[in-house]
Amino acid sequence: MFLLDIRPVLYINGFLLLILALAMGLPAVADLAVGLRAGGQGEWPAFAAGAFCSALAGLALILANQGKGEPALHTREAFLLTVTSWILVSLLGAVPFALCSLKMSPTDAVFEAVSGLTTTGATVLHGLDHAPRAVLMWRAMLNWLGGVAIIVTAVTLLPALRIGGMQLFRMESSDKADRVKPRFSQVAWGVLGVYSLFTFILVGALLTAGMTPLQAVCHAMSSLSTGGFSTSDQSLGSFGDGARWICVIGMIIGGGSFHLYVAPWKRGQWAIFKDSQIRWYLMTMLFFALSLTFWNWAVRNMGAYEAFRTSFFNVVAVLTTTGYHTNDYDSWGGFAEIVFFMMAFVGGCTGSAAGGIKIFRYEVLFAMVRVHARRLLHPHGVFVIRFNDMPVSDLVLRSVLTFVMFYFFSFAGLSVLLTMTGLDDMTSLSAAAAALGNVGPGLGKIVGPGHDYGSLTNAAKWLLSGGMMLGRLEVATVMILFFPGFWRE
Amino acid sequence: MVDFRPVLLVTGLALTVLALAMGIPAAVDAVHGDNDWLVFMASSSVTLLLGGLLVAANLAGRRKAFGIRQMFLLTVTGWLAASIAGALPFAFSRLHLSPTDAWFEAVSGVTASGSTVLRGLELLPPGILLWRAQLQWLGGAAALLMAALVLPELSIGGMQMFRLESNSAQGERVMGRGTKVAGQMMLVYVFLTGLLTLLLWAAGMSRFPALLHAMSTISGGGFSTSDGSVGAWHKPSVDWVILLGMLLSGAPFMVYLQIFQRRWRQALHNSQLRWYLGLFLLSAVGIGMWLLLTHGVKPLPSIRHGAVTAASVLTGTGHATLDWGSWGGLPVAILFFLSFVGGCAGSTAGGIKVFRLQILFTSAKVQLIRLLRPHSVVLPTYERKPVPDQVRESVLGFLFVYCLSFAVLSMLLGMVGLDFLTALTAATSALGNLGPGLTQTVGPMTSFMHLPDNAKWLLSAAMLYGRMEMFLVIVLFIPDFWKH
Repeated sequence: MFLLDIRPVLYINGFLLLILALAMGLPAVADLAVGLRAGGQGEWPAFAAGAFCSALAGLALILANQGKGEPALHTREAFLLTVTSWILVSLLGAVPFALCSLKMSPTDAVFEAVSGLTTTGATVLHGLDHAPRAVLMWRAMLNWLGGVAIIVTAVTLLPALRIGGMQLFRMESSDKADRVKPRFSQVAWGVLGVYSLFTFILVGALLTAGMTPLQAVCHAMSSLSTGGFSTSDQSLGSFGDGARWICVIGMIIGGGSFHLYVAPWKRGQWAIFKDSQIRWYLMTMLFFALSLTFWNWAVRNMGAYEAFRTSFFNVVAVLTTTGYHTNDYDSWGGFAEIVFFMMAFVGGCTGSAAGGIKIFRYEVLFAMVRVHARRLLHPHGVFVIRFNDMPVSDLVLRSVLTFVMFYFFSFAGLSVLLTMTGLDDMTSLSAAAAALGNVGPGLGKIVGPGHDYGSLTNAAKWLLSGGMMLGRLEVATVMILFFPGFWRE
Repeated sequence: MVDFRPVLLVTGLALTVLALAMGIPAAVDAVHGDNDWLVFMASSSVTLLLGGLLVAANLAGRRKAFGIRQMFLLTVTGWLAASIAGALPFAFSRLHLSPTDAWFEAVSGVTASGSTVLRGLELLPPGILLWRAQLQWLGGAAALLMAALVLPELSIGGMQMFRLESNSAQGERVMGRGTKVAGQMMLVYVFLTGLLTLLLWAAGMSRFPALLHAMSTISGGGFSTSDGSVGAWHKPSVDWVILLGMLLSGAPFMVYLQIFQRRWRQALHNSQLRWYLGLFLLSAVGIGMWLLLTHGVKPLPSIRHGAVTAASVLTGTGHATLDWGSWGGLPVAILFFLSFVGGCAGSTAGGIKVFRLQILFTSAKVQLIRLLRPHSVVLPTYERKPVPDQVRESVLGFLFVYCLSFAVLSMLLGMVGLDFLTALTAATSALGNLGPGLTQTVGPMTSFMHLPDNAKWLLSAAMLYGRMEMFLVIVLFIPDFWKH
């Protein structure tokens, strides 16, 4: 084996930090502009300082690690790059939180930044309605940036690294070495374009629905990225019906496969309507929404339409791992709590900003169970597992298996560790599931919808930040760094 | 069409055995001067009649081949028939249990789960207490035989790894070897029951409870003769013996055969046994430390209580020395995940089983190596033998269905009105044949009598479903099963 060369890793990290610095400039400039006009809130120094820090760090990394020619990324470097870049960007993204007028502790700042970038949407802040506008904007931007970053990672890098069966989604031409790179950046730009386009449309729609410009921009960003940072403590509960439905549409789009949005037309047909994952995704959503509607209607005596509306909205918010809420669904009773808990494990489609185990892995698992059951009756039969009418190779099955296993073991480990910090079982279990699945709110009186993570101990916050990161990077990407073989030559 | 006759014939035979078993509590009650002996005699006659009729009507099937389909059907009908017959004495005794409660108690007994709807166990007539223990003991024996002979043949959830060695030879020899192993296992089972009875007696229990606890411990059942479970004796020596019994019940019984045949090396190199003990130690230490640090229990008792609790949940027994239902927090989280695991394959324990976790781990390890070196050829191994792809798929299929069933069951339990944690822990505990859950409502020292009837039906169905390793039931719902 070759020696692990971390220079290209650091070099690319440097570039990402420069992008982050540019992004931080935006709230700084906006704050300054507003401040000049209306004696504003003066948050810009925090953002300017943050931008300066990350620009400096980025430039240092770039200059120190400039190599000759193209930086070469092999498998191990790619793993290292994925993990280090998310950690570095989160740490530097936390700087404005720590420096702004909210004076967040380092733990809180990092938690908020990680939660933003991983599009989790769990917050330690209370009193969002009166929070500085630049901070609200930065939170939404973190969601948005994290969302696009994970989509690009999911459609380009993870398939190449064969994480969790993602190789199923490898671009068709990726086995031809000469065409990999142009194709890679083409897809990345395509995703970015579609993502931005959807964001603009959502902003426009939300403006017409009566939100203020800041609210519209923030909610457009955090719903499309399935992040879930809101500008109000009541989340979407404080907005009207129109805005809620627009956000629902934004979340549903954000939880779908972006590689299909980039190329919805394939081989003479609408691939997006033929895609089995999209269909399962919508059906799962409908299934959970209808069972909760039934519960709310039959047991909790809600009107039929009201029951459907609130159930559908909150189901979409949790299933797409956004984490908005309109009602305190935690008070809906045992059944609802269990449904919301289970949904945190489902998540959206691959190639989306949603977290969780993802629909396609469930499809593969279901197919495997079907084969197993048939093989019980016909021990010598030959069965093929299919996904989207294509046979699924053994390698894919194995990586799906590994992914799901790591996911559940991380969940178990994380929840046991959380109980050690003194949390009760319901809080620990649901917070662990919500962090790993990048959902946001958990259940119960501490971390449930309408509550925030501010009251947790620092240890719990660090654990949850780690959980969000782990879930976002599809677990195995992180696990492999702890595998002794990784560092050995 | 599937030929039902051989299936019904064997089911009839099983009922006959059960009818004979009912004679024992009848005799005990008669000696004790309790009127319940009439109930047992009546139940016994009904069961005997039913069994006899089934046998007589299907005698023609005795020379018919016993195919895969018949095996599937037999296990299902066998467990169902035993549960129904086992419920008769409960329904008609002077406990005046409702049909739901009688059925729940019988299922919980036969599947060796151990949740009870009864209260005031100390005051019950000896016949009923004996019958509960007997149900568990017989259920445990049946589970043991099923795990050794039937499940490997049917390749349920990767159990084909445990096919008897001479299977490659001709059919007749397989049958011969099968009956031989079955006979030996039963001998070991009886021997261990006797041993535990003696030990419990020596530890300070009186003879009757000692026998009943031995029966409900070695079968991984967990019915006690006291509302306070084993904790009511307040004797460390009793706790230690129960601990030993529970650990024995969750270990692969094949190891005991090997020990009796002095094949020490094979017995010691059983990797499943090591993982099982490792898991037990780890969780016992966790719970013990928690007791020591937060509950101010003294070091030695906290080791004891930690070990008993961990073993009880891991092996799906359900005996308790402390009421873990009132603990909350860390230990409950540990126990919750532990209750998914269950004991080893080839034991009386339920749950996912340790060997499936091992197969998962070895596959995951290999997968990590492959991620780093895409072109390397590494095979997952189990006890130094490569794990075939089919086994791995079966294991994964099993695990997935297990988790899915858990999810569905807990949602249904939520729907009938249980709260979040109660529903989740009752669901894993029923599926894994543990019995008690981890909250106050369904804890090890509480009775399930206050649960809504719907919840009792759901839980008893889940116990049977879990005991039949799920796929035995699922297969019946594949249309292919009924076509030929």
